[in-house]
Amino acid sequence: MLNLEVNIGGLRLKNPVMTASGTYGFGKEYSEYYDLSQLGAVVVKGLTLKPREGNKAPRIAETPAGMLNSVGLQNPGVEAFLEHELPFLRKYNTPVIANIAGNTVEEYCQMAEKLGSQVDAIELNISCPNVKEGGVAFGTKCDSVYNITKNVKQFCKVPLIVKLSPNVTDIVEIALSAEEAGADSLSLINTLLGMAIDINSRKPILANVVGGLSGPAVKPVAVRMVYQVAKAVNIPIIGMGGISSWQDAVEFILAGADAVAVGTYNFVNPAAPIEIIEGIKKYMDKNCYKNLSDFKGKIQAC
Amino acid sequence: MKNEICELIYNREIAKSTFEMAFRSENMAAAALPGQFVHLKVNEGLYPLLRRPISIHRIDKSSGVVAIIYHIMGQGTEELSKKQSGYIDVMGPLGNGFPIIEGKKCAVVGGGIGTAPLLEVAKNLSDCDAYLGFRNCTYKVEEFEKSCNKVYVTTEDGSVGYKGYITEQLEKYISEYDIVYTCGPKVMMKKVVDICASNNVECYISIEERMGCGIGACLVCACKIKEENGDWHYKKACKDGPVFNAKEVLFDA
Repeated sequence: MLNLEVNIGGLRLKNPVMTASGTYGFGKEYSEYYDLSQLGAVVVKGLTLKPREGNKAPRIAETPAGMLNSVGLQNPGVEAFLEHELPFLRKYNTPVIANIAGNTVEEYCQMAEKLGSQVDAIELNISCPNVKEGGVAFGTKCDSVYNITKNVKQFCKVPLIVKLSPNVTDIVEIALSAEEAGADSLSLINTLLGMAIDINSRKPILANVVGGLSGPAVKPVAVRMVYQVAKAVNIPIIGMGGISSWQDAVEFILAGADAVAVGTYNFVNPAAPIEIIEGIKKYMDKNCYKNLSDFKGKIQAC
Repeated sequence: MKNEICELIYNREIAKSTFEMAFRSENMAAAALPGQFVHLKVNEGLYPLLRRPISIHRIDKSSGVVAIIYHIMGQGTEELSKKQSGYIDVMGPLGNGFPIIEGKKCAVVGGGIGTAPLLEVAKNLSDCDAYLGFRNCTYKVEEFEKSCNKVYVTTEDGSVGYKGYITEQLEKYISEYDIVYTCGPKVMMKKVVDICASNNVECYISIEERMGCGIGACLVCACKIKEENGDWHYKKACKDGPVFNAKEVLFDA
C-alpha cells in the first residue's frame, strides 16, 4: 500500500502535489477540469491587504520553454478573498494555503492576523519581482528575511511557509535566516527576473519592462537551489520551478523537496497536477517505495 | 470540461501567411458559440510552451467540425502552419461569444484576421451586412456573401474592392444599423466604436490580448473596463471576454 502523505511543518497533505501561487487563481477555473480534492493542497493567488489592479498589459511574454509574467499581484484583497473566494475552496477536501504579500512588515502581520486559522497555512511571499514596493525587497537580504519571518510568525495561527526568491547571490543563507526566524517550511523558487524585447518595435514585450521567468526553462536552477537548501536546513521544502511531468516532480523530491508545486504547466495542461500524482505513484510502485521518505533527498551525490 | 485530442481535417494556406485549419470535435462543435475561441497546443514539446488562443471561424454542428483562421505571427503559429495531418490538443470552446440579437439590422465589421470570428455571427443573424477590410489580399469574402445582404470590401492598396479603410465605408451607412459587431486591429476597432457611439449604434467588440491559461486563472490578459463612476478596473479578456459591449471598454491612448 503506497503512502503519499507528507507533513510540511505541521501542514498534513494527502499527497505531495500542490498548485503554485499565481498560476491557479482561486481554484474555480480548474475545478471544471478535475476534482480539487485530489490535490495535496491549493495555493491561491498572492493576496494583499487592499485590492490591487496589477500592472498594465501586456503582462506575458513567451520565451524558450518558459514565459515571463508581470501581473503585479492583481487580487481582490484579503477580506474579499475570505468572503467570496475561500468558501468555494472549502467545498473540497484539500488544504488551502494563502500566499500573502505586502508593502510593509505591518501589512504582512495584519494579513496573517485576518486570515487567522481560516486557511490551513500561510505562504509568505517575499519574492514577487513584479511590484515596486515590498515583494522581493524583503526576500533578498538575510536580516530583512529574518525580521519579517519573525514578526509574521507571531501573528500566524497556522504553519508559516516562506517562499524564497532565486534572485539572490546565496539562497542558502536566506533559507537559513528564514529557518532561524521560525519558518515552519520553505517553498522555492519564485520566478527569475527576466526580460524580452520585440525586435521589430524595439520595445520590451512586457509593459512593465521586466518580469518573472517561469516554466521548464527555470527547472535546473530550481532543482539546484532545492538541493543546496535541503542540505542546509532542517525544515521541510516545497520545491517548484518548471515542473511539467511526474519525472520532474520526482527529480525535485530526489533533490530534497518534501512536496512539489505545479505552476506554469497548469496553463498548458490543466490536468497536469493530477497526472503528476498518478505518475509518482507508478514510480514508487516500480521502485518498491512505500513512502515518500524512501526516496526523498536520496540523490546519489558525490 | 477537458482538453481534447482532435483529429486534424485540413490546414491550408488561404492567403499569404494566412491559414485555415479544421479539426473534428463533436463536443466543441455542439457547444461553440460565435465569437468564442479555442486554445491550441501547437506541438507536443515544451517549445513553444504555451497554447495559442485562436477564435473560431466556422462551426459545423452536423459533422462535428470546427475551423479556425490564423495568421503566422511568430514561432507558435509558424509551427501550427506546418501541421498537415494527425491530431491536435485543443481546449475549448472558451470565453464569451457575441450576443446574437434578432430582429435588428446588424453589421459585422472586421479587419484582416479579425474577420474570421465574424462569419458565424453573420450566419446566425437574419438581417446582416458585412464590412471586411484587408491590407492587400482578401479571403472568405464569398462565405460572407452567402450569409449577408450586402458585403463591402476594402483593401489598403485597392487591389480588391474599395481602396482605403473599411471604417470609411461603415461611416457612410452607419445610420442604417441597430447593432455592430467588430473584431480587428485595435486602431480599427477604436474607430468603429467611435463611429457607433456618435450614431447611437450598439456595438460589441472582440478584444485581443496576450493570454496564458485561457480560462481566467493567470490574470495576464488584462483589459481595462469602465465603471459607472468614471473609474476603471481590469477584466480578463479570456474569461470575461473576449467579447465586450463597446461602452465598457477603455482603450489606452
